[in-house]
Amino acid sequence: MTILRTLTAKEIRALFASPIAYAVVAVFLLLNGYSFVVTLALSKQATLVHIFFQSAMQLVLLVPLVTMRLFAEERRGGTLELLLSSPAPEIDIVLAKFAAAMLMLMVMIGLTASYALTLGLFGRPDWGPVYSGYLGLVLLAGALVSMGLAISALTSNQIVAAVASLGLFGVLWSIDSLAALLPAPIDNWFLGVSLLARFTPFAAGAMYTSDAGFFLSVILLGLFLTVRALVRR
Amino acid sequence: MAVVSLEGLSKRYGPHLAVDGVSFDVGQREVMGLLGPNGSGKTTILRILTGYLRPSAGTAKVAGFDVVQEGRAARRRVGYVPEDAPLYPHMRVNEFLDFMGRLRGLDGSRLRAAIGAASERLSLGDVGETIIGRLSRGYRQRVCLAQAVLHGPDLLVLDEPTNGLDPRQIIEFRELIRGLADQCTIIVTSHILAEIARLADRVAILLGGRLLAVRPVAGARSVRLRVRSDIAAGLMPLLQAEEGAGAEIVEEPATDGMVSWRVRTAEPAAIDRFVARLGAAGIGVVELSEAGSDLEETFLAVTSRKPGR
Repeated sequence: MTILRTLTAKEIRALFASPIAYAVVAVFLLLNGYSFVVTLALSKQATLVHIFFQSAMQLVLLVPLVTMRLFAEERRGGTLELLLSSPAPEIDIVLAKFAAAMLMLMVMIGLTASYALTLGLFGRPDWGPVYSGYLGLVLLAGALVSMGLAISALTSNQIVAAVASLGLFGVLWSIDSLAALLPAPIDNWFLGVSLLARFTPFAAGAMYTSDAGFFLSVILLGLFLTVRALVRR
Repeated sequence: MAVVSLEGLSKRYGPHLAVDGVSFDVGQREVMGLLGPNGSGKTTILRILTGYLRPSAGTAKVAGFDVVQEGRAARRRVGYVPEDAPLYPHMRVNEFLDFMGRLRGLDGSRLRAAIGAASERLSLGDVGETIIGRLSRGYRQRVCLAQAVLHGPDLLVLDEPTNGLDPRQIIEFRELIRGLADQCTIIVTSHILAEIARLADRVAILLGGRLLAVRPVAGARSVRLRVRSDIAAGLMPLLQAEEGAGAEIVEEPATDGMVSWRVRTAEPAAIDRFVARLGAAGIGVVELSEAGSDLEETFLAVTSRKPGR
């Protein structure tokens, strides 16, 4: 536990020592803030559904920038050799990086709670979809981080890691549209792995254990593959 | 008991066999040099010993612990300075040492004492709060060595530790390593013969992933001396005195009115004394050059043999 805590603290410091974290948070909040104000002014409705979809889309685009450096930078700089030749277990190294990236994203997502607070102060929002929307965003962020982490563990080039992650996320986000062209039951396979199809119920206020289970499974699979990538050396 | 024990160690990268059935032992407080040209498998062997790579076949043990089956226990007993001394450039020196110490199970007063001792030994006291990215190459090498000795390892593994250092830094770093040899076993790689000759007790010569020989590093040293034929007679008493003191004097064929000798001694410092006497005698020497060490001869002899496969 001490090693995991030490590694996590180091990862958090490294993440916030990099300008990328601040740039990602700034862009995320700027776009969402603009969208929140404009949509509220036009629709006059106390809802955050559009913010959740916009945030989810931004996560697909921005998470690769957060995860690209997690292992690729260590590999390129040679410090991965120091970490893996220390007594720290591989699983702790992976979990520390996952926890640090998640903390940053949760702070980022958490800052948009000011929108919900504003709606609560000046209107009467339906709180169910607000809670489920935030839960959906956290689960989606977890799935994206774990997949990005696995890709970062396979290369020493940050740009390759970012582009490969973006490609994978983009395919998994929009693969549900391909399902419309395919006959049953194949279409269900594609719908089943679509991030958009899995996220939509959360944003709309409907929580299904199957969707939550899907995101949790992707998180575990991503972490497992990352550990395997480190162990197989 | 051997601190390091390799038995039929092999590592394959796809079709390429980087290390091919290497076996040797290294005893307590022994300095073993791995010598070979680039691509001979030196770094791969070190990476297997430190747990960074897994062997394709064979076994490697550190302090009796198998680096694969008992990886964590083996890694606890190893300190490692990889090639180019990788560090986290955004960290301060003490912050980095604190991080590495905690990874190795140190904390509280033990960790503070270990950082203090390593900083003192490696003269890092003045740069403890300096950001690593701003340090010179020599200091970075020291910081990397400090993290490797924090926990008092049984085995210290150094991969090309003097690469990129200037001559003064090389001498300082060599002294540091020799000092550490009193406390632990050291394995050091280099492709520079003179470096290994000065650091190691024994040397393992590698070529193409195969171990060609394990030899003690002899202390013998020799110089080549060339003078004009007409003043050669004046040199004879000096040469005879060296011969009387145990040096081996070999006269080489005379050319262009010049006479050459090769003076070889078992004690390296004897050469320095001979050169000083030569200077004091005021004899006009045309050429005086280091004629190579036993290690060079061994290396050339061993690597010129075709490895049997």
